[in-house]
Amino acid sequence: MTAALADFSTAPKPPARRWPSPLMLGLIALLIVAHVFAWQGTDVSIKSLIEGRKGMADFLDEAIPLDLTWSTVLRPGLEAALVTLYIGLLGTTLSIPFALGMGMLASRATTPNTVLYQATRSILSFLRSVPDVVFALIFVCAVGLGPFAGVLALVFHNTGVMGKLWAEAMEETDLGPRDVLRIGGANGVQTALHAVLPTSLPQLVGLLLYRFDVNVRSSLVLGLVGAGGIGFLINEAIKTFKFDVMATHILIVLVLVIAVDQVSAQVRKRIGA
Amino acid sequence: MTLMATPEIRTPVGAVALRIRGLRKTFGTKQVLKGVDLDLHAGEFVTLLGANGSGKSTALKSIVGLQTADEGLIEVDGAPATADPTKTAMVFQQIHLVKRRSVLDNVCAGALGRLPMWQSLHPWLFPAALRQEAMHCLDRVGLADRASEPAGKLSGGQQQRVAIARALCQRAKVVLADEPVSALDPNASEQVLALLAELATEGLGVLAVLHQPELAMKYSSRLIGLNKGVVEFDLPTPEVDMSMVDALYSGDQK
Repeated sequence: MTAALADFSTAPKPPARRWPSPLMLGLIALLIVAHVFAWQGTDVSIKSLIEGRKGMADFLDEAIPLDLTWSTVLRPGLEAALVTLYIGLLGTTLSIPFALGMGMLASRATTPNTVLYQATRSILSFLRSVPDVVFALIFVCAVGLGPFAGVLALVFHNTGVMGKLWAEAMEETDLGPRDVLRIGGANGVQTALHAVLPTSLPQLVGLLLYRFDVNVRSSLVLGLVGAGGIGFLINEAIKTFKFDVMATHILIVLVLVIAVDQVSAQVRKRIGA
Repeated sequence: MTLMATPEIRTPVGAVALRIRGLRKTFGTKQVLKGVDLDLHAGEFVTLLGANGSGKSTALKSIVGLQTADEGLIEVDGAPATADPTKTAMVFQQIHLVKRRSVLDNVCAGALGRLPMWQSLHPWLFPAALRQEAMHCLDRVGLADRASEPAGKLSGGQQQRVAIARALCQRAKVVLADEPVSALDPNASEQVLALLAELATEGLGVLAVLHQPELAMKYSSRLIGLNKGVVEFDLPTPEVDMSMVDALYSGDQK
């Protein structure tokens, strides 16, 4: 009440307002132009979206009711979903030693020298930039159709992603304990094992669970290119126009993904990562 | 009373544990240390006083190699400080324990510098003799009964004492303390400084940086005043009066 009546004119003048710089305005303009081109380049059209309504309805008409025949649809679907889960699990677990080793070399907190640091970072970014589907196609050629190709694909791609995430998590932890041990004469491996890793462990486990979650979802897509699991069955159902079968499989996938997501979220919450 | 240091006339408490001569360090154009000389004897608790930016922390960090001095001699126990890092330990304001690990494991980690590689892969592999020695160190700081608890469960003052036990387990001759009590309440501060002073009487060389002149005067045997990288005074505590200390901090108030 009194504040509204008070006279502030004797206080020092506030500094001048800062307007966006010409560089910033230029960047904003560039971004807008990029979106206009993208809109045209991807044939975005509200009209076809509205007209496509009918096709969508036809599709749903064929998909519902779901085909829930136990012996020919539901049981194979559940079994394949289990294989998908297995692919995600093994793909994640088997990549742990590689991601940990390379992550430690690619983290400023633990790396022994800058040459190794740069080299491992390049390898990790290569593994990361090749999509897991491409790895799967390569391994399907190498070891044949089936879930093993999917596991290999995930190990390679996940090493790249998790190695980088772990390296960054280690860099973000408090490096004080590391310095104390280093001052006392501990070597690089000892400081990593007794300061950096135990300090960042909750973050590393949280990222591991997040990657497991992502990898189970990825292994669905891997099935589409022949790397086993329920993705393979969905692909088959589409190719033979059995949309009711496909819808059943998608429902199974939905349940699987939500379950994995919930479990991983709960565990992450418990460990505080 | 003279402001000039006259180390020759003082009777040293023990052998020289830490000897610094002509320490210089420049950051960009700012000269932080302008030729600092310092002797720390075994059995002494010496405190560096000075305003922010006077070079206290830079001096400590140069001793343990967290920073590289441009020039100067740093000897620990008669050999270059880099020769045997296990002889110097440091405790920090931020304490820097691994909070998830047990108090005992944290203390044992002080000994990593003398452990063979295979025994230092995991706390499970620490030898029984080391665990026993660590318990002795914990007992020394009065926390043996908390050995199995995660370090993070302890109060700030207790954690700082665990950090001191870690330095003891390292078998350090010199303990550097960079503002060890700045984050602690008055009671815990007194406990930590009393402990450091007591360890000094048992033969350890303690060099601390403190921001509380009263505490420094109460616990240290000698005070060194740093002002803009120059040693202003280096005197036994009874010969320092408050006006000399106040002068260190007033120069900063421009």
